[in-house]
Amino acid sequence: MMKQCMLEAKNIAAGYQGRRIIEGLNFQALRGELLILMGPNGAGKSTLLKTIAGRLPVMAGEMVLQGKAWDAFSVQERARQIGAFFPERIRTEHMTCREMVEMGRYPYTGHFGVLGKADRLAVEEALELTNVTELADKDLMELSDGQRQRVLLARAICQEPKLLILDEPTAYLDIRYQLEFLSLLRKLCKERDIAAVLSVHEVELAWRAADQLLCIKDGAMAAYGTPEEVLKEDQLQKLFEIDPDKLGKDGSPELEQYAKMLGRGR
Amino acid sequence: MGLRINQKEKQSNSGRWAFFWCLLLLFFLLVLLFASLCTGSVKILFADVLQILTDRKAEGTAADILWRIRFPRAVAALFLGGGLALSGYLLQTFFHNPIAGPFVLGISSGAKLCVALVMIVATKYLYTIPQALMITAAFFGAMLSMGFVLLLSIRVERMSLLIVAGIMIGYICSAITDFVVTFAEDAQIVNLHNWTRGSFSGMNEENNVVIIVLTLLCFAGILLLAKPISAYQLGEEYAASLGVNVRGLRVCLILLSSLLAAVVTAYAGPVSFVGIAVPQLVKQLVRTSKPLILIPACFLGGAIFCMGCDLIARSVFAPTELSISTVTAVFGAPVVLAVMLKRQKERL
Repeated sequence: MMKQCMLEAKNIAAGYQGRRIIEGLNFQALRGELLILMGPNGAGKSTLLKTIAGRLPVMAGEMVLQGKAWDAFSVQERARQIGAFFPERIRTEHMTCREMVEMGRYPYTGHFGVLGKADRLAVEEALELTNVTELADKDLMELSDGQRQRVLLARAICQEPKLLILDEPTAYLDIRYQLEFLSLLRKLCKERDIAAVLSVHEVELAWRAADQLLCIKDGAMAAYGTPEEVLKEDQLQKLFEIDPDKLGKDGSPELEQYAKMLGRGR
Repeated sequence: MGLRINQKEKQSNSGRWAFFWCLLLLFFLLVLLFASLCTGSVKILFADVLQILTDRKAEGTAADILWRIRFPRAVAALFLGGGLALSGYLLQTFFHNPIAGPFVLGISSGAKLCVALVMIVATKYLYTIPQALMITAAFFGAMLSMGFVLLLSIRVERMSLLIVAGIMIGYICSAITDFVVTFAEDAQIVNLHNWTRGSFSGMNEENNVVIIVLTLLCFAGILLLAKPISAYQLGEEYAASLGVNVRGLRVCLILLSSLLAAVVTAYAGPVSFVGIAVPQLVKQLVRTSKPLILIPACFLGGAIFCMGCDLIARSVFAPTELSISTVTAVFGAPVVLAVMLKRQKERL
């Protein structure tokens, strides 16, 4: 069965102030799957993610979400379609986790942002899905990095998006929390039947967690496909100077365990 | 399921707490209002105050003092104080910085400079100073300082540097003001001197009407922005991804905070520390991040703070009156220090 396509990019280019950072990217994000962006720093991963989030204009090519062209969405419609997760640290004052998650209801509430019954239910559901119900009344600033990332994910989920955009969501986490976060993300995408596009810095982790990999180098596509396909293309090696024979065989115990958790023997 | 219901109760509890705090603040406000109406060189009993307030036709010295002097002054302190606190709240939100405020960022000083210039020219040629002209001048000066601060904020990465830059702008404006005052003629300075020190005295009913209308308009405008402000707390990227028109919101925040600071400066002169300290105190008290609660709470807090400080300024060393900033600094500066120390600790 062909999996349904959520987001399709056809030959897109984007960048800042008229200067193109990324060019000629073609890819599809499928329902229930993780599309992971890989590439060296400055390759254009964040630029691509910001473009998908609507923060940067599409300068060439076409981007289609669920069969509808990118420009056809109003700002509010787009906010309902896409949940975002940015790498900047958030500094809040006296904001509880629940209040943070409630922010995800923004595109659905009225002028003063007062939550209705359905909104509250969505908030509790998101808290439960990401396993942070017990933290709900804590101050966001009191949490550990791992807990905070989960709360931020809950906020994004609470927005009921069709597509999740995550820029380096595992950046501040140690290996255990990275694995926990990515498996949680996988579970959510499957359950909600939504697509996720994310950038992950750690090669090994990305390679294992992805359904599809998109390797970007100098703003252009270096490789695209399932992790196996990408590996066959010898591209990972060129990009990151990794020995493909060692990949997946010599991983840390945590990574091995993760592979088992996902039920894949890569 | 039981857990979920439990949490819902908790949530409504926090909402109720916030409501309770607002009521408490309102109560304090009323107490202070009556206290400042009773206190002064002529003591007026609480019962007399009530009687005079309920009967507008009341005559006599007490009624005169109350209606001509104390009531306009208390009302000015109430609304200008509330406006100043709101201005500080908006600036703190805008710059994501807890020690931002109209005075530290040099906005009040910019307004002061322009008003001083207009005052000197106006007393020379017009004899009286039209209120609209004063407010326009103050707003123009506030926007000028704000413009400088914004220009710097593009280049300056660290927020603490921005504050330093704001203080420098404030000093430059004050220096120019002092220079102008030094070379102005004596007759013109009489007006000016009291005002540059900052005071809520010398208000009349006409002033009050303008103050109330402008502050309440700004207050309503800010309340209407409560929802986008709540999202803006997460940073621009998140706000935009939630559908906030970030550029529009930023313009609104700047205009509203400058207008509020300008109104205050035009009537009471530069008042320090209210803009920074009150939002911090109120946040600490109410313990929420929801603008829909914080906005009215900040207004009430600022009103209480300024009325209290004004009462102290005019009664403690009576008949000598302190300038309002002398008193607000004594209570406000420690708060700012505490906030800075707390932030320092958090970073470690």
